Amino acid sequence: MRRWTALGALAIAVLATAIVVGPAGLAPGDVLRGLVGRGDPTTIAIVRDLRVPRAVLAFLVGGSLAVTGAVLQALVRNPLADPYLLGLSGGAGLGAVLAIALGLGGAWAVPAAAAVGALAAIALVYRLAVVAGAVLDTRVLLLGGVVVGAFAAALMGAVLALSPAEDLRSALLWLLGGFDTASWRTLGIFAAYAAAPLVLLYRASRPLDLLSLGEEPARFLGADVEPLKRLLYVAASLLTAAAVAVAGIIGFVGLVIPHAIRLLWGHTHRTLLPAAFVLGGALLCAADAVARTAFAPLTLPVGVVTAVLGVPVFAILVRRWSA
Amino acid sequence: MRFAGRNAARAATAAILAAAAAGCAPAGRVAERPAHRVVSLAPSITELLFAIGAGDRVVGRTTWCDYPPEALSIASVGDGLHPNVEAIVARRPDLVLFYTSSSNAAALERLRALGVATDTIRMDRLADVVTGARRFGRLTGTARRADSLAAAFAAALDSARAVPVPGPRVRVVLLAWDAPPVVIGGGGFQHELVTLAGVDNVFGDLARASGQVSIETIAARDPDLVVLLGETAPEPAWAARPEWQVVRAVRERRFVRLTGSEFARPTFRALAAVRDLRAAIGEARR
Repeated sequence: MRRWTALGALAIAVLATAIVVGPAGLAPGDVLRGLVGRGDPTTIAIVRDLRVPRAVLAFLVGGSLAVTGAVLQALVRNPLADPYLLGLSGGAGLGAVLAIALGLGGAWAVPAAAAVGALAAIALVYRLAVVAGAVLDTRVLLLGGVVVGAFAAALMGAVLALSPAEDLRSALLWLLGGFDTASWRTLGIFAAYAAAPLVLLYRASRPLDLLSLGEEPARFLGADVEPLKRLLYVAASLLTAAAVAVAGIIGFVGLVIPHAIRLLWGHTHRTLLPAAFVLGGALLCAADAVARTAFAPLTLPVGVVTAVLGVPVFAILVRRWSA
Repeated sequence: MRFAGRNAARAATAAILAAAAAGCAPAGRVAERPAHRVVSLAPSITELLFAIGAGDRVVGRTTWCDYPPEALSIASVGDGLHPNVEAIVARRPDLVLFYTSSSNAAALERLRALGVATDTIRMDRLADVVTGARRFGRLTGTARRADSLAAAFAAALDSARAVPVPGPRVRVVLLAWDAPPVVIGGGGFQHELVTLAGVDNVFGDLARASGQVSIETIAARDPDLVVLLGETAPEPAWAARPEWQVVRAVRERRFVRLTGSEFARPTFRALAAVRDLRAAIGEARR
């Protein structure tokens, strides 16, 4: 119980800090007044329409990536698995870069193209890994993900090489990920979209424990392995595709947070998944706050900050665990 | 992704080393006789060569060299930032002019090793047009015309800077990209153009040519107008996105589009660009 209280307190502290700090340098009192709709209209708009949805979106995306990483690591039984391993980053990147290079109009063209690219990669990898009509071979899934990702990355490289320098730079910036497009609308879309996969994955906690022992033992212990694997793969991939569409590609969170929770609290998925969600959310939300403010008015790519903040902590954890 | 990253890091290191080596060496092996076959690897350099009367000596250009229109009839050797050495050598140049950058440092080394005369220059500020004109004038044997043009341009710039622009100061943000937002800072020639037009760049305090900022900072600095660089649509698609409505100038749809190539590179056309900019801003303020 103490753990959950600590995690809850961490989440609230990080969210509150992320709303109070920002490059506009507003006083904490003004932020509070802005939050309840009093004071200068620009301050109200900055707090209510930029900071709050951005902090909450960063939290939800970080949590979703951490949960996805935990699930995929159990599914393919590989500690290096992360949400983008299965070809998603390549597919999403190719979609986004094509939209930018072709100058597709519309306010939502780039995120929509990224989501379409990610879904196409998922479909392709899934098709490669399903053998004999029903059996999802996780080894082929892993390899298929890597080769589809590499193929998409190569096509992306070709598009970038043939694009004007300006577009190229912008496309690369987009690929680094971030929450500059956060608004109540993106938050609403992401929350609505992420809820179902998150619930499905949490409900699969117990079979996930069995699956992480290996497919044969899981089958003996009564898990319905094939439908389970398909469900896990599809839910985790759709969740990542939604995250890519609203925030680009943000590495590290999905890879490392699940390991950190396993080191701290063990391998049971009923604890692991919610704890990874909260810790992943807190890390990404904090990283975004640092990215916005550390070199204000300039901003850093959030993926840079997640790695800079997270790697030392993770290294200490690994040391303590192996000592 | 990981392997790509490692290769990119290696390439970047190589480029930095090459750039450092280039920095230590004298400014390139320069031919003693005036050059007759020049390959230009930047649109600003091509334009400058034509302006100083050396246009007939340009035998190679980049894909992006579109001014003056005569330049389009010259053979393109590809993208100036990642030059194709073979395509350049095929033009049999006796001088190749580079924009100083780590991304073309390897090609510069290759050409030097092949015995081709080269020179590199940064064309980032309006003063670079003056320096460049004088240097290219000597290299191509058009020094008299180049020097007099350079002197006239420098004098015109000085007097334009000395005369204050009447009326209230308009505050603008110069936006190069929307997601993530990239703005023009005080380190580039576009900042000089708006300053000469009597306009305040709200990100003039950034020492660099451009930088990535957040929408919150733009909203807090509250510019009167958004100046769009390279945008061709009358109203940008992202202006409809909810997060941008926090910026007053976006909410009120106060946009000025700068599409001409004179706003994309420093050139002798800068003072005409300033006049156009002043007119466009006056129009948008109404």
